[in-house]
Amino acid sequence: MKLAREEIQKLILGGLILLGVVYSYFDLLLFPLKKHQDAATKSAVALGPEIQNAQTQIKNTQDLEKSVGEKTIVLRQADAMIPEGSPVAWFPTMIGDFLKRQGIEKVTTKLNTESVEKELVGFRRLTWGIDIPKVGYGQFGGAICALENENHLLEIRTVQIDASRDDAETQRATITLNNLVKQ
Amino acid sequence: MALHINLYHEVQKARQLKRRDPLKLSMYGLSGIAALFAIYYFVELGRMHVMSVELNRVQAQYNSLEPKAKAAKKREDEINLEIRKSDLMAKRIESRFYWAPMIEQISQAVPREVQITRLVGDLSGEGVRKCSLTLDGLSAGSDPRKVAEDLRTAIAEKLGSKYKSATSNFKSLEDGTEMVLLDGRQMPTASFAINVTLTTGEETAPAPARKKR
Repeated sequence: MKLAREEIQKLILGGLILLGVVYSYFDLLLFPLKKHQDAATKSAVALGPEIQNAQTQIKNTQDLEKSVGEKTIVLRQADAMIPEGSPVAWFPTMIGDFLKRQGIEKVTTKLNTESVEKELVGFRRLTWGIDIPKVGYGQFGGAICALENENHLLEIRTVQIDASRDDAETQRATITLNNLVKQ
Repeated sequence: MALHINLYHEVQKARQLKRRDPLKLSMYGLSGIAALFAIYYFVELGRMHVMSVELNRVQAQYNSLEPKAKAAKKREDEINLEIRKSDLMAKRIESRFYWAPMIEQISQAVPREVQITRLVGDLSGEGVRKCSLTLDGLSAGSDPRKVAEDLRTAIAEKLGSKYKSATSNFKSLEDGTEMVLLDGRQMPTASFAINVTLTTGEETAPAPARKKR
């Protein structure tokens, strides 16, 4: 079968058009579609762990929330131990009353310094000086024992006991203590 | 044999040629291929649609969870801070230095031949605390220096059994000029100053570094 020249020209033109159509099909239609598909698949796959993490985070927080009451009991108890108001107003009175119950009278309590607690956020440390002009050694020891056992937010930093020349039975005692209060 | 002449052979040949036209046949083939391409494209388009729907669903789920997770993380940080504060508070309370037992032990170590005229105690440091104590006093007896020495060793023994690295040293020990009446007899005296040091508590662990997110 012989092809005429005109037919050969038509075949060549048809082939060229076919190449153009195939190129356009792949480059303009199929490949962008595949690219979109890949991007969507990647996005969906990437969101999987993110969703998993978010769900785990929410569950962990819920579990932690259930146990927070038990784990922060000491902090809440400490909070409850601190009276409201300025410590200068209540602390000297509290110490005076406490020592009076121990049989020690005429106590002077003064605020020495004040500093912010770096580790215990929301608390500050006050340093007080307590002067007891007349006290027996045993009585003083008993009062210190009671003070340390009943006031958990106190810590005595210095103790000084001086014997009196006039009265051999009593001494003058001075203590410096730190007290934690709310900021 | 009869002679048969086909007068239509030219017409038939033209028809046959038209039927086997390669251009026409190739056009049919191309149309078929184009149809297959189109079908394949629409199949892929359908898959793309399914994937988009799935992505939208996952994205919507993530969008609804993300603020909750952020809030949960914030709350978790707050709770952890509270727990850490509570632990720290408990540790502070539990690791306090108690003076009362030490005062009691010193009073037990002081014999009747000794009068303590001054006691100064000082606590320094956090975590591992160093406590230094100075005792000034008078000892009396036939050998007042020995009485003072006995007191020093008694204090070291008493405190050494309870506290870490308790040491007791004389800062000064001098013969006194005064005589005192003890058990109905005049006894010589010695004035002394004893330094006592001891350590207590444990090293506090440094706060954990905050994780960078």
